[in-house]
Amino acid sequence: MKINILGAATTRFGELWETSPRALAREAMSHALKNADLKPQQVDALFVGNMLAGILGNQGNLGSFFAEELGVSVPAFHIEGACASGGLALHNAINSILAGQHKTVMVLGIEKMTDFNQEDITSGLMAAGSDEERQAGATFAGIYALMAQAYMQQYNVSEELLSSVAVKNHYHGSLNTKAQFQNIITIADVMKSTRIADPLKLLDCSPISDGASAVIISSENIGDVSNPVSITASEVATDTLALYQRESFATLSAVTRAASKAYSKANITPSDIDVAEIHDCFSIAEVIATEDLRFSKRGEGAKDIAEGKYTLGKGKIITNPSGGLKACGHPVGATGIKQIVEITEQLRGQAGSRQVKGARIGLTHNVGGSGAVAVIHILQT
Amino acid sequence: MKITPVKLWRRQKHVASLIGKTGTLLQWTVIRVPAKTFVKEAPYPVAIVKMDNNEKMIGQLVDWQLSDLEKGKKVIAVLRKFTPEDAESVIAYTIKFKPHENY
Amino acid sequence: MTSGIVGYGTYVPKYRIKVSDIAEMWQKNQQEIVAGLRVSEKAVPALDEDAVTMAIEAGKRALAMAQISPTKIGSVYFGSETHPYAVNPSSSIVAEYLGVGNDYFAADLEFACKAATAGMQAALGLLNSKQIEYGLTMGSDTAQGKPHDALEYTAASAGCAYIVGAKQSEIIASVLEMSSFTSDTPDFWRRDGAKYPSHFGRFTGEPAYFAHVFSEGKKLFEKSGLSPKDFSYCVFHMPNGKFPRVVAKKLGFMSEQLAPSLTVDKIGNPYSASSLLGLAAVLDIAKSNEKIFFVSYGSGAGSDGFIFETTKTLTAKQKNTLPVAKQIEDKSYVSYATYLKHTHTL
Repeated sequence: MKINILGAATTRFGELWETSPRALAREAMSHALKNADLKPQQVDALFVGNMLAGILGNQGNLGSFFAEELGVSVPAFHIEGACASGGLALHNAINSILAGQHKTVMVLGIEKMTDFNQEDITSGLMAAGSDEERQAGATFAGIYALMAQAYMQQYNVSEELLSSVAVKNHYHGSLNTKAQFQNIITIADVMKSTRIADPLKLLDCSPISDGASAVIISSENIGDVSNPVSITASEVATDTLALYQRESFATLSAVTRAASKAYSKANITPSDIDVAEIHDCFSIAEVIATEDLRFSKRGEGAKDIAEGKYTLGKGKIITNPSGGLKACGHPVGATGIKQIVEITEQLRGQAGSRQVKGARIGLTHNVGGSGAVAVIHILQT
Repeated sequence: MKITPVKLWRRQKHVASLIGKTGTLLQWTVIRVPAKTFVKEAPYPVAIVKMDNNEKMIGQLVDWQLSDLEKGKKVIAVLRKFTPEDAESVIAYTIKFKPHENY
Repeated sequence: MTSGIVGYGTYVPKYRIKVSDIAEMWQKNQQEIVAGLRVSEKAVPALDEDAVTMAIEAGKRALAMAQISPTKIGSVYFGSETHPYAVNPSSSIVAEYLGVGNDYFAADLEFACKAATAGMQAALGLLNSKQIEYGLTMGSDTAQGKPHDALEYTAASAGCAYIVGAKQSEIIASVLEMSSFTSDTPDFWRRDGAKYPSHFGRFTGEPAYFAHVFSEGKKLFEKSGLSPKDFSYCVFHMPNGKFPRVVAKKLGFMSEQLAPSLTVDKIGNPYSASSLLGLAAVLDIAKSNEKIFFVSYGSGAGSDGFIFETTKTLTAKQKNTLPVAKQIEDKSYVSYATYLKHTHTL
């Protein structure tokens, strides 16, 4: 059974003060329907990826909540896996189609963060970690900072080298009209930005954002079939909830394992990937991912990024053409689906100035917490 | 975060058994932008400690100075207050780590 | 029967603030304040320390010195003016973290700075009536001084724990005498809900501290038939560096007998831990068969008196101590602003 992507759309990401969660959902889902040339009545089910609505807004029952915005009372489900909520929602939607339960499914990733203040958000995001990490006063920046320290010590990598991730992603973001940040930044800008959790600085960290993205997948070929993109692998792996319990802090084993399964399922090797959307919640995350996905050798991820090996117009495998989490923004539950939307547009040749020429095989890498869960999707035309 | 008296009570014997245990610093960071509960304490180090029994723990470092933040630094587990969010809750005590030769 | 101290432990927080820095804040004459109070700096708790966390540290050390299992403790009394809760016992929290079990008498005590010595007397009562095998008593405070008030220069933090027992071979200091002198004298108090204590200035001197310490001191001499020259050391409650020096002289002691106990000069007045900390400083260095004269003071008011005599066992157990002197020297200075943050004023 082939899983086709019929429609894909995303709202702008940013501080969308005037847009409510319902309005965000309506926008993303209606544009996805338009993109697919489908009516709401043709959708059999809805899967929603979101992390913080319950934690910060005391709103549960999100399946029904957002089905109201779709306008049809279809079976609807909320999937949560911290920042991997979007990817996991898609994975479960795919499974429901493979199980023969549904044919055409809408997957919505959505997050509204700016209704809450920064301290509450920082606390809320720590729901993705363990009790011990919370009691120790760790924040997510702190946990990734521990990874950064381990990586930098093991491979003798400087903070300057790490800064190149944000520089690349802001360059890509400048070409994306939907990105939260469209400004170009330099290594010096990153180095002098406010320290958040040593060694990570403000510009090493993805921002607080609002946004929604939606894709419509199906086992059928209906609607606008002019640009067929299908999902050829959807794999998930987990690891310990807390970072400190793992053997190494300089790699995410859940990513390595999920990626291996995905390459195997899609019958490809890492070098076959033309374009990838990587979960750069913090600069170090992209460096480590580049190695865990086997694009770069161990210890060489930062150097390769700094040398432009993954930059539009320069590199072979282009990573985060959307601007990544850093520049495009990171409305937590939406990110996993936004990544799918970006790769879909790339494979359809519709990415405008961000287009990776001749892109035929793409990958999305979506992580929850400090690597407690990883979900990898491979898309092909 | 929610620390209820029941959770504290259930964990107490385990926490009590950790007081006075020693270990060494594996990895650390200094948190400068904290979560809500910890605003008064920032900046403070959070460290992954390898205990003498080879188990790993994560915890806040107390009574510290910059020169203590080095790999292999000996630390000891002490009981300290977990700063409560309001004046009415039960006081939570939790394990934190202190540089050992100052002990 | 003989009963006495079988182990003790102390805890002094790491941070200090100089009295001169406090005086500078209020634009007072720094030398005058330091010289008048005879205190140069005081101990400041970390933001996350309280009377309970300090008592646990001291309690662990006392158990290590006594070399007994915590489950043998039959009574836990905790004296403080800064119990973390107005209602909820500190004694049972500490006992649980020390692993005492469930079979013990317990209570929290308040009697200003003599709450813990009163607890010691209660423990000795249970011990001497053979109802317990060992009694643990703690005095611990994170004393608060109101900004700009005289007490701000001396209100400090520390914790002490003493274990008493009746086994001859374990006792490091026997109790030869104990008594108390008490009255209703409102020299210093804190109303329920008030953050800082209030006091009545010079009324805290002659009619309060001196009257009670001196009267109790005289009682100890009468009861025991001993005189100052029979003692190697004397220890008094230390609200500042001046008062214990004056009362020691008044009772007929020489400055050399008092000197080793004067922890106040370097760490200030940790209220319920004050006199017990002075006693620990003496026990850290005392030899065997030496007599110690001890009188505490708690505002409101009363004095608890003890005559101790050290034993041969003290020398062996001194090896298991973290001396008070060492903790006094292990310090890190903070600014006035940091001091306000640590004492929850900011």
